[in-house]
Amino acid sequence: MKKSILIFSFFLMLGSGLSFGQTLYRTSVGEVSFFSKTPALDIEALNKKAGAILNSGTRDFAIQMKITDFQFPNKLMQEHFNENYLESEKFPTAKFAGKITEEVDLSKLGTYPVTATGNLTIHGVTKPVTVKGTIVASATQLGLTFAFNVRTEDYKIEVPTLVFNKIAEVIEVKGKLSLMK
Amino acid sequence: MIRAFSTQRLLAASVLCLLLFLGTSPWKVAAAQDDLLSMLDAEQAKEPTYTIATFKASRLINGQTIETVSKNHLNFWISHRFGAVNSGFIANFFGLDEAKIRLGLEYGITDRWLVGAGRSSLEKTYDLYSKYKVLRQSNKMPVTVTAMAGWGINTMPTGYVMESGATMKFDNNIERYSYWSQLLVARKFTEKLSLQLMPTLIHINKVENPSMSNQVLALGAGGRYKLSQRVTLSAEYYHSFVDSEDEDDDYDYADDQDTAYPYRDALSFGVDIETGGHVFQFHLTNARGMVEKQFIAQNVGSWGKGDIFYGFNIARTFSFDKAARNAHK
Repeated sequence: MKKSILIFSFFLMLGSGLSFGQTLYRTSVGEVSFFSKTPALDIEALNKKAGAILNSGTRDFAIQMKITDFQFPNKLMQEHFNENYLESEKFPTAKFAGKITEEVDLSKLGTYPVTATGNLTIHGVTKPVTVKGTIVASATQLGLTFAFNVRTEDYKIEVPTLVFNKIAEVIEVKGKLSLMK
Repeated sequence: MIRAFSTQRLLAASVLCLLLFLGTSPWKVAAAQDDLLSMLDAEQAKEPTYTIATFKASRLINGQTIETVSKNHLNFWISHRFGAVNSGFIANFFGLDEAKIRLGLEYGITDRWLVGAGRSSLEKTYDLYSKYKVLRQSNKMPVTVTAMAGWGINTMPTGYVMESGATMKFDNNIERYSYWSQLLVARKFTEKLSLQLMPTLIHINKVENPSMSNQVLALGAGGRYKLSQRVTLSAEYYHSFVDSEDEDDDYDYADDQDTAYPYRDALSFGVDIETGGHVFQFHLTNARGMVEKQFIAQNVGSWGKGDIFYGFNIARTFSFDKAARNAHK
């Protein structure tokens, strides 16, 4: 019986050992910005503390950031963003977890257009999304950039009629990550 | 022996099959991504998450809150206190015929350090003050603590009659000064409820009566409750620890009604309405002063007698943070 446990644990190791040929690339200082453009007002905010991990073998990818880390040029706007729109005390983070659909070999240097499908969570609402991006693989890091649009309505972010003309219905989100081994 | 061995092989093979099955199943994929997320969670939990917006503004009603102004942001305060509600309809339109005004500016030197200045029409007083956020409430710290110190100068002509009825004569300009310091301790208990305590020490260089102390020690308590995203109820109370009934005092206020200690605790109730760049604060208070020395140490109004003043504060914030604005370009 002891032997069977040994064999079992060997296979368990083998199971997780599928990751022998893969590497985790990560960052804790990823940059994610968003942009809201209306004729009345342009709003831009930048988060420089996004955490992200990419598993080059399975091509699994996850990114998470604190809502309170989004910096606005106008701090009053930042406070409203946290308090009234994103309700960052109830929903402190925004995150995406998914997988790169293309079978790219990131151990080879080059530039790869990629598509990731997975779940995006903002304001406590999770939706399946597909995001397009580009990975630049160099010897030391993977440079990942992506851009997508978010409809505030989809994530139950309520915009009062008073400021309706100041906040766009579709928000442009961009990201720039330098993922290190 | 052989038989036992083959049983084990069978077991091993079935385990292998199970693992292979699990390895290719979508469940495994989701689990792998969740693992990545929990790794990120663990990493981000190391950094404290600071509580924001304990109060809507840097002032609660008359007094200060723990909030400071963000770096390179300017706050412009316009404060009015109308006449007393009991001042008559014909004579004073229930107080709306007259108002005491304070105009103030506050500037954020850093996100935690503010300097401010103001000018009140009550006792023609100029005031300067500074606030520093010493501790910030976070998931690792229960309260925010802000220290405040201020200075004021009364520029009324010498020999003017104070609100208490006493005549105040100044022999030199130093006598016109007063100083105050406060420790503001607040906690945002829930998204809606924040409470604050304000131990305060005030020094007035010249008081109207030699038996009065130049120092006033007071304890304030206040709080806010958010009714909605934009509308907030607030209350503020300052109690002064004044020895007005001391038997040994050669001048006993309590014994003689005419010369009873003229100053009372300030109690105020307010509603804050926030609209984008402005905060409007409407309130009812028995204090007409808008400078610490006036509403904590020298407030003559009494709720019981109907000395209730309508008032409002308007705060408008301007951003001068060019660095942050250009950071994205």
